[in-house]
Amino acid sequence: MKKFLQNKKLLTTFIIIIIVLAVLGISVNLRRKRNTPLLIQSFGNDIVAVGARVVDVPVNLVSNGLNSAHSILNTQEENNHLKDQVTDLGQTKSRNASLEAENKQLKSALKLKSTLTSYSMVNASVISRSPDSWSDLLVINKGSTAGIRKNMAVMCGGGVIGRVVEVNAASSKVELITTTDKSANRFSVQAKAANGKNVHGIITVISGNNLAFTQVVDSNKLKQGTKVYTSGMGGNSPKGLLIGTVSSTTHDTFGLSDLIKINPAGEVNDPSVVTVIQRKVTG
Amino acid sequence: MRILREWILAIALLVALILDGSISLYLHQFMVYGSYNSACLLVPIGIMLIALFDDTNEKEIWLALGTGIVADIYFLGIIGIYSVFLPLICWACQKVARFLPEVFWARLLVVLLGVIILSIYSWLILSMVGMISISDHLMLISLIPTVIWSLIFTVLTYWVWGTLARDYPFMINLDAYR
Repeated sequence: MKKFLQNKKLLTTFIIIIIVLAVLGISVNLRRKRNTPLLIQSFGNDIVAVGARVVDVPVNLVSNGLNSAHSILNTQEENNHLKDQVTDLGQTKSRNASLEAENKQLKSALKLKSTLTSYSMVNASVISRSPDSWSDLLVINKGSTAGIRKNMAVMCGGGVIGRVVEVNAASSKVELITTTDKSANRFSVQAKAANGKNVHGIITVISGNNLAFTQVVDSNKLKQGTKVYTSGMGGNSPKGLLIGTVSSTTHDTFGLSDLIKINPAGEVNDPSVVTVIQRKVTG
Repeated sequence: MRILREWILAIALLVALILDGSISLYLHQFMVYGSYNSACLLVPIGIMLIALFDDTNEKEIWLALGTGIVADIYFLGIIGIYSVFLPLICWACQKVARFLPEVFWARLLVVLLGVIILSIYSWLILSMVGMISISDHLMLISLIPTVIWSLIFTVLTYWVWGTLARDYPFMINLDAYR
């Protein structure tokens, strides 16, 4: 022990390792428990985010050019598909408008101000993505000043892609739904089974970054293509946000419960503009 | 103006850090192969090349520490990945540079070895704190695209970091030597 204490290099290394582990532990704890990061951290994040917006302009121009060239190659196929969709769209829009008006009247008749399906939206641009291979984190250019709070759901391309995990004044971090983070909040979801009953569960990530509908409380099997929505029961996201569609239903490795695989509806791989969903009903 | 010259390397690393995030975002579809992701490591490559080009400036270790803290806070929200690896690899590269031939191929091998160590280290720490749950098999296979992309980034930025490290050393007034 005396030799160890007299060896300055060894002692310094030991102290540095202790400090690193302590800083790591404290920062992980702060990230999980605090709703907003420390002021200095928030300030630093916003400064880099401003720089990211400046650098993003030329990078975005080049990227858009490449994407445009790619899009031109697929134009004919996409055009045919869209023509099919347009014929249905007019009818769906008018039906949607009449249902919305009816819904509003019924809510006012019942004196309901907001329900689990009520939410407001904040649009934001993605300015950065974590460069390491492992974590699924995005940085967006809106923060607490735009009304964004921790745990809000984030959508892109028509489906949920993740959740806000850190909010600074002018930027926020979004953890993707495909994250393998063990402490991440999971979305509580529901889907309509073939017999008309609602099936409830949560979304978890299984091997290969695939999504699965787990902890299903009803044994009714869901058909392939069934849409899975948020149920609003988790307390953070509203009801009715599309998560994805059922791709297959199998048994888990123990053969005891169903494993329902989900195809995510949101654009998880290439999100550039996202919508942050603010639930109106609190708690 | 003199102060700006002394801090150009720090500004270049900040730009590289921002580019890391932008490239990861815009080229993500080209950096993912099924379940295997490649990392974009411009900053670690930059720090290693700077240390290999200029092995006498000990202030670069502090520069690496500062860059590491900013990168950790901005990308991950926790401190302990880049803020530990970057100063350590900067110190190690400066030691190695003293007996390493001053040729591109030798430096490239050191950089690629550093990239592999960083990938394993970040996987280990992020798994330890529960931020990821990725199998060792997936991690090992993901090293292949990471090394290939790092090879491309090293080839593309080798000259830039070399020029910056030689002509604009961090916190050193070159006029004093002229």
